[in-house]
Amino acid sequence: MDISHGTVLPDQNPVYRLTQVSKIYRKGGREIPAVRDLDLEIRAGEWLAVQGKTGHGKTTLLQLLGGLDRPTQGRLDFGGADLAKAPESDVRKVRASSFGFIFQTFNLVPTLTAAENVEAALIPLGTRHADRRHKVRAALGSVGLSDRAQHLPAELSGGQQQRVAIARALVKEPRVLLADEPTGNLDEDTRDEIIALLDTLWRERGLTLILVTHDSAVARRAQRIGLMRNGRLSIRQDTRA
Amino acid sequence: MFFLTYLRRELRRRMRQAIFIALGLAIGIGLVITVMGASSGVKAAQAKVLRALYGIGTDVTVTTKPKPPSSRPTTGQATGPGPGGNAGHATVCLNGKCYTSGTIDTLVSGDHGALSAVTAAKIAQLGHVSAAAGGLLLTDNRIVLPKTSSSQLQPPTSTSVDGTDIAHPKLGPLSNASLTKGRTFTTADADANVAVVDANYATAHKLKVGSAITIASKKFTIVGLVTQPQASSPPEVYIPLKRAQALATDPATGKSMKNEINTVYVSAASAADIGAVQKEIQHLLPQATVTSSSDLASEITGSAASAAKLAGALGKWLAVLVLIAAFAVASLLTMAAVARRVPEFGTLKALGWRSGRIVSQVLGESVGTGIIGGAIGIGLGFAGVAVIDKIAPKLSATVPAATSSGLQTSVAGPGGGGPVSGGGGPLSGASHATIAVPMSASVTLSAIVLAVLLAVAGGLLAGSFGGWRAARLRPAAALARVA
Repeated sequence: MDISHGTVLPDQNPVYRLTQVSKIYRKGGREIPAVRDLDLEIRAGEWLAVQGKTGHGKTTLLQLLGGLDRPTQGRLDFGGADLAKAPESDVRKVRASSFGFIFQTFNLVPTLTAAENVEAALIPLGTRHADRRHKVRAALGSVGLSDRAQHLPAELSGGQQQRVAIARALVKEPRVLLADEPTGNLDEDTRDEIIALLDTLWRERGLTLILVTHDSAVARRAQRIGLMRNGRLSIRQDTRA
Repeated sequence: MFFLTYLRRELRRRMRQAIFIALGLAIGIGLVITVMGASSGVKAAQAKVLRALYGIGTDVTVTTKPKPPSSRPTTGQATGPGPGGNAGHATVCLNGKCYTSGTIDTLVSGDHGALSAVTAAKIAQLGHVSAAAGGLLLTDNRIVLPKTSSSQLQPPTSTSVDGTDIAHPKLGPLSNASLTKGRTFTTADADANVAVVDANYATAHKLKVGSAITIASKKFTIVGLVTQPQASSPPEVYIPLKRAQALATDPATGKSMKNEINTVYVSAASAADIGAVQKEIQHLLPQATVTSSSDLASEITGSAASAAKLAGALGKWLAVLVLIAAFAVASLLTMAAVARRVPEFGTLKALGWRSGRIVSQVLGESVGTGIIGGAIGIGLGFAGVAVIDKIAPKLSATVPAATSSGLQTSVAGPGGGGPVSGGGGPLSGASHATIAVPMSASVTLSAIVLAVLLAVAGGLLAGSFGGWRAARLRPAAALARVA
């Protein structure tokens, strides 16, 4: 069900407001638009799933939302700041404090233990060592991995590694959780476990969850589902109250 | 804490590469230490020679060129029966006097010209000078004429004699000697006919403490025996300066050298003042030859000098080249390692890590590798120096002899009319002496400090290239590598 195209839903207090956002890559003199003229608002505490084929701009959109890249044009407001124009140091601070990332390939540092990987997310915040240890324990506990704290990533299963990555994303208590194909490398049972965990954490913590996925079974659990096609986003489902 | 944990884990993960880089740096650093050790060994050998010649505390020596001989002949001429000589007795003419019999024993100054005795006092008053002492480097030449015309003219003998300033025992050739028997000079000996003799000379001439030795036809009592370092060409006899002045003759004038000296030994206030001292003396005595230890070192020839040049030029450049190669390899490997870790750094940037923090992590790992390389390099340096000590042959040092005399005497024996040289060479002491110098390389503190600095520099250099690459990564681009 196609509800809107490039929808702008009026909201009193959106966490994100994107206005005419485009991202164009230049390669060999050619312009490749990854995101085109996107207008979008995302409410605090919303779960938005973004679907679409490979190469249609899903990951680029997620990177723009996460402050990992900047739009070529348009305005990208997050919490009152335009991430498109803000100095890199400010964007970095927002990344460090407000965004939690979950990646398809987990992206754990292979030489660090599960606990140290989670701790790495607190380093840019300047959290004291004792507080870090306490928060890391709590984060690993929340994903059910208290007993794997001293294991290296190579000693953990794919599902466990993704749990560590979720703990790393959550340990700093971010406002937004950005997940790029978090179940793409997992089997069906583990996928369900991880999605159930994300669902629980989203509900319990009131997070804004933006999740990019190919998997319709995963996307269906979101409040809104958007479809990226040729750099344009169309909202196909909206079950928000 | 987290920094160190991460650093340690990464080094352990890339242990093989870290060891490879560390070994590369270690070889370079080890070579630098070995070359420095060898170089300091050669310099020490040269210094031994120079110290023996001019005294351990002497920084600068002052001499003048000898004046040309006066119109009166100052050289001796011995002639024997033959077409050009007196038939019958050998005749030796010296300083205008001719001798046909007896012993001619003269104490003369040679290679150096005479200076006024007050020169040393004037130099001592200069700004950067700590002390100055005069000395007389002389040669005692002895010719015994045959009693009968049929007797063979014996070859002349010469003994190197140092007129020592007793008031300054820390300057001059005697200051470097070790007393083996008897005593050295005291202030009471200033006017006494006493001598201190080199132990080797004493052995060769069957002399001991209490024996008498003849210098310029005067009997001197030996009060002590001394040895000089092996690598030296020391004077054979030391006598008080005042007595040497009273007995010596200046071949340029044929006159006594009373109140004259021919060398001033100068000690600078500090090593840094040597250059200033040289300038001040040159200003005071424009005609004088002012020589520092480093100037003298350049006069040394032979394999010691060749080894010094080898260590200084080839060794230095070889070490520099190996170091550059090691640094380049370390840099390339670190950059390659960073390239492999792009997704990891991208993730850390996504977590909010500052670029500087990531760069310092890379630098820390490289410096850690460098320090390990430095530690191994110091070990290799010690080993290299030990090998040099073990296998290094004795070096030969040909030095300008300090005790030479300029008495150019040609002697014709009674058996022939032509001139012959005494003792297989000029009658005077040889103007150059070749000495076997044992080479003892050693690792100096400065070499170790340099090694540590090089290790840190090598690590920083390698890490800065890698760190620079890591710093300029955009998080999105870095993460795209994962995909």
